[in-house]
Amino acid sequence: MNKTIKIAIYSGEVPSTTFIERLILGLSAGDVKIYLFGFIKSKIKYDNSISVFGYKQTKIRKGLHLLKFSILLLLFKNREKTKLDKILNQKQDNRLTSRVKYYPVLWYKPDIFHLQWAKGIDEWIWVKAFGMKLVVSLRGAHINYSPLANEKLANTYKAHFPKVDAFHAVSNAISFEAQKYGAPKENINVIYSGINPDAFNNNANKENKIFRIVSVGRPHWKKGYTYALDAFKILKNKNFEFNYVIVGGKNNIELAYQIKDLGLEQHVTLVDQLTFKEVVNQIQSSDLLLLPSVEEGIANVVLEAMALKTMVVTTDCGGMKEVITNHHNGFIVPIRDPEAMAKAIKEAKSLSDSDKESILNNALETIQKNHSEKLMVGNMMHMYTNLF
Amino acid sequence: MKNKNSHIKTIGIVLSYVPEYSETFFKNKILSLQKSNYRIILFVDYKKPNDYNCEYEVLYAPKLNGNSFSVFVNGFKALFKALVFYPKKTIHLYKLDKQDKLTFTNRIKNIIFNQFYFTKKLDWLHFGFGMNAINKENVASAIGSKMAVSFRGSDLYLTPLKHENCYDLLFTKDVKYHVLSEEMKHTLIDYNINDANIQVITPAIDVEFFNNINHRKPNSTLKLTTVARLHWKKGLEYTLEALSILKQQGLDFIFTIIGDGEERERLIFAAHQLGIINYVKFKGELNQDEVKKSLQETDIYLQYSIQEGFCNAVLEAQAMGLLCIVSNAEGLPENIINNETGWVINKRVPKALANKIVEVKNLLPIDKERIQNNAIERVTQKFNLEQQRHKFIEFYK
Repeated sequence: MNKTIKIAIYSGEVPSTTFIERLILGLSAGDVKIYLFGFIKSKIKYDNSISVFGYKQTKIRKGLHLLKFSILLLLFKNREKTKLDKILNQKQDNRLTSRVKYYPVLWYKPDIFHLQWAKGIDEWIWVKAFGMKLVVSLRGAHINYSPLANEKLANTYKAHFPKVDAFHAVSNAISFEAQKYGAPKENINVIYSGINPDAFNNNANKENKIFRIVSVGRPHWKKGYTYALDAFKILKNKNFEFNYVIVGGKNNIELAYQIKDLGLEQHVTLVDQLTFKEVVNQIQSSDLLLLPSVEEGIANVVLEAMALKTMVVTTDCGGMKEVITNHHNGFIVPIRDPEAMAKAIKEAKSLSDSDKESILNNALETIQKNHSEKLMVGNMMHMYTNLF
Repeated sequence: MKNKNSHIKTIGIVLSYVPEYSETFFKNKILSLQKSNYRIILFVDYKKPNDYNCEYEVLYAPKLNGNSFSVFVNGFKALFKALVFYPKKTIHLYKLDKQDKLTFTNRIKNIIFNQFYFTKKLDWLHFGFGMNAINKENVASAIGSKMAVSFRGSDLYLTPLKHENCYDLLFTKDVKYHVLSEEMKHTLIDYNINDANIQVITPAIDVEFFNNINHRKPNSTLKLTTVARLHWKKGLEYTLEALSILKQQGLDFIFTIIGDGEERERLIFAAHQLGIINYVKFKGELNQDEVKKSLQETDIYLQYSIQEGFCNAVLEAQAMGLLCIVSNAEGLPENIINNETGWVINKRVPKALANKIVEVKNLLPIDKERIQNNAIERVTQKFNLEQQRHKFIEFYK
């Protein structure tokens, strides 16, 4: 395929999450054209190779958006519009909101439609009927637990996964999970999330009188903060001195209650969500980053901590053991095990300077070798071009 | 003529919405008070489309959400009614709020939101949950009635974590408090509430309905049950962890969870990840007859909560003669007398729960029976609806 490939990176909203934006910017530097569809959360300036065809979340804006693309399709691609309408009618989907989302995609018809969240597959499988290649990302919860508690979703995956042209899996672990729902192994490309290690200053001094530990992420149960708090209770009972900060945990009653119940008020702080820059500062100034999760794809915050040369203690959830090897470039403990978590935190604190430096250097090397943005973008491009 | 009905006391009960058919506590309380010749008026904030057709008067707060035009109209109407038909009460509320240093805007808001209380003459204004009394601290005084507030658990232990100091003003008022346990009473005393103003009235159950005369032999596969909303405070994740320890030890069991809720996905994933998903049955919500049937088939009842006001389900399980293991969360150690009517263990320690289940399973039949009989006797005597009715009549005297 010689012409410039047109790729829609679809997450439903523009701009998307930090790591999807990283992918978009990385891809746009190459010889591709990126299309972004969906609802515009905030205005963002992209370069010329990225085109945004979004709408604001108001009834009027959505109405105008729908009107514009309905007319364009009616006048110039009426046969395709009729075909899509027929598909939607067969699915008994008469919602205008669906058409607001679908018509612009049909009008611009990218070569590849890359769906970032697997849960949307039932909505987007139609793109295949119009010659677009469908790529689906396999990330965290959508594969690891949602279909377990939702039989309908599991059946949807089983029905559609075999038809997908290519999968992008964020880890080998999640690739394995997706195969249980019929994703053909040969169509799955494990491409690790990447960051640009040079963009992170890893020379900052950590000058904490009391050992400072940070976790970052919304207070969702899958983040396993309750286990972290139980671990800190064990440490407190052993007179281990620490300050623990959960960035994004503010106003969560479950955590606030547990902190009070366990008498950890003087040692644990729940802070609000922070900007990316502030999160980087938090990680940089902490002695340890703790990932107590019970489920993850591969946690980006761990990659960032490694690039910042902050020690990592993580649970062995999702694909984390593909990043962290115990005692080599961090610490990895079993999920749902506060005792083991407490032990690893204690161990991380008592490392000699040389051992610590060696682990941190290994961590940085892991990022440079396996998790660079360059590698991620290269692998992703490779996956796209292989489709033609 | 005027005083003919003066012996009939009128109690205004304040709730967020009309209790559903399944919410037995308020239903039972209201019915038993009516039986004792009290007149009950329910004041609620929201109207639900399927409000249970109840046998008492219900007044709804003015609808002050939705589009700004209807909020304005409803707000204006309420203010107009307050000023024109109930000027004395309105001015009284305004002055009391002013004494409490509320801003002018909040004083006016309180008049609008609370105008519907002015329409009735009450002996008592009883707030069903602590949070129902927030921004209504002066309403009872303004309408010349006595004020009572019930605390039921999460409103005392969780709400202040989300809304810091939310009860500061309430706790300065002349209020009679009803709580479910001695533990809750102590918590209120810690907030400097006078001991004499707090009455403990535990929940009660229909002991006629929840009985199980035929003691069965234990099942060949251990049957464990919890009745609980799928909410983090019920400690079900810790329960599942305990059960995974038992599985590793080779113990066969079936664990039935009766109830539904927001944490369903979390718990199914936990059971799956802990390797016990095939031994855990998520039954969803069941009606009373189905709950009873499920309890009849149970060997050990578990309530390993993190936070619990008192817990009716544990009373029902005891009345059914089940062996109950509960956590030490707030009211539970009063619900179960440790080693007498069941077992109380520390919360958040799955290993302790696993060990206790094994210990109870291996008890001699005679020891099991002693606990079962104690539990049945204690619940029948102390937690029946009739004694609760007497206590509430006493409360309003």
